[in-house]
Amino acid sequence: MEKSVDAIMPGLCARVVVEEGDKVSIGQEVAVINCMKTEISVAANFGGRVKRIISKEWDELQVGDPMVILETDE
Amino acid sequence: MVKRLLIANRGEIVTRIIRTCKKMGIATVVVYSEADANMPYVKTADEAVLIGPANPMQSYLNIDAIINAARKTGAHAVHPGYGFLSERGAFAEAVEAAGITWVGPPPQVLKSISSKSHCRKIANSLNVPVIPGTLTIVENPAAVIEFGNSNGWPVFLKLDKGGGGKGIERVGGANEAKKVFERATRIGELAFGSGACYLETVVDSPRHIEVQFLADNFGNCVCLGERECSVQRRHQKIIEEAPSVVVTPDERRELFERTVRIISKIGYRGAGTLEYLRSREGKYFFMEINARLQVEHPVTEFLTGIDIVKQQLAIASGEALDLAQSGVHANGHAIEARIYAEDPETFVPSPGTIAALTFPAEDPKIRIDHALKAGNSVPPYYDPLLAKVIAWGDDRADAVNRLKQALSDFHVEGVKTTIALNIKILGSPEFQSGNIDTNFIDTSLSKAHPGF
Repeated sequence: MEKSVDAIMPGLCARVVVEEGDKVSIGQEVAVINCMKTEISVAANFGGRVKRIISKEWDELQVGDPMVILETDE
Repeated sequence: MVKRLLIANRGEIVTRIIRTCKKMGIATVVVYSEADANMPYVKTADEAVLIGPANPMQSYLNIDAIINAARKTGAHAVHPGYGFLSERGAFAEAVEAAGITWVGPPPQVLKSISSKSHCRKIANSLNVPVIPGTLTIVENPAAVIEFGNSNGWPVFLKLDKGGGGKGIERVGGANEAKKVFERATRIGELAFGSGACYLETVVDSPRHIEVQFLADNFGNCVCLGERECSVQRRHQKIIEEAPSVVVTPDERRELFERTVRIISKIGYRGAGTLEYLRSREGKYFFMEINARLQVEHPVTEFLTGIDIVKQQLAIASGEALDLAQSGVHANGHAIEARIYAEDPETFVPSPGTIAALTFPAEDPKIRIDHALKAGNSVPPYYDPLLAKVIAWGDDRADAVNRLKQALSDFHVEGVKTTIALNIKILGSPEFQSGNIDTNFIDTSLSKAHPGF
């Protein structure tokens, strides 16, 4: 099943730290948001394999915007 | 002298620069993003130009848009403020190429000092002590391990082009070297365009002492005293004061002498700051050059009566400094609190909308630098600095008490702010006794206030 890892703060995408095909475990950092120049780590709250990267550096983000799509384990 | 100045920045520093321009009879042009259309200075400046969307990459970091705004409005000079493009050699170059005066150090100086290890090499060659570490770039994790094993753990791995408190990684031991090295170089490449790193040993209980200077085109360099900025969170300053309680007159003379030596060597022109770390044993180590007007410059202005922005404009206009070192006098004590839009306990940013605003009563011994207005938004795309409150006093206790009172009378509703934290710092016995270092918030304050 496809599930997205979403922005937890508004701001700008600082970077996505995984690549398509990477295996991601629960709690692993997948992206970083720059909110008011503070870096906020975005972790996956489920495990899976990276299917698609949505966000790129400098993208504007609102809370809930999908950043990375994972194919989940279950 | 400059007749029409474009200010390539946003927030409180725009208001600050306009204040000096009005006094000097200089017309002002401000630029703003779509997120900042309601900023008070968009109305009070002589001209305002919309330069792009909220995203800073398309507005405040957009060199072409800013140069076009300067051309369109006939601005004679560009003041970059701090942050954004202020220390970007390519921006300074583009401004000068457009036939516009750049208020800052020459582009080629900005380019060469953007490398911190280059600055360390220069300081070292002038017999100015630098934080013990490498003078060259470390190429691989093995070099980190070798350095740590022979100098002791932990060590700091720092990005050569890092800044703003970013790109400083602590390496606890040999087992962490590979992971931290790979993360640092990756972040460096993504955020600063260079993954190059150098190493520093950890200075025990360091205090942050910096020297403000002015240098003109005629070889004159005058130091306007030091500022102590040891109270920091996440390697970013929150309280700054002058004079420092630990710097002796002999040490101050020595720091001034070192500063002039470095500044003269690199051919710097304009206002700037040299940052030093002071170890527990009282040794001073050169850290880095801040090639811009600094956030905390009002502390020095309150202490010396010198308008640093006015001096910047005069230097950029090609004038010789109208003051000598013997003409710089520190009077009393000045202290600044930065108010950030952040949770005062977790430091998590707090963007939002300013619902209501109450300022402290006007007082000639209190200065408030801000660009706040009730109903305006605090966007998530920019720096969290909301306002700076600066107090002057006959002595340190007097200044601290006045600042504490002003902060208690300052209310911002709608976003979380660090006002409560500022008040706690100023009221803590450790701070009042002057017993501070850069770990103050994490150690002393946490002990004194279990809630932190």
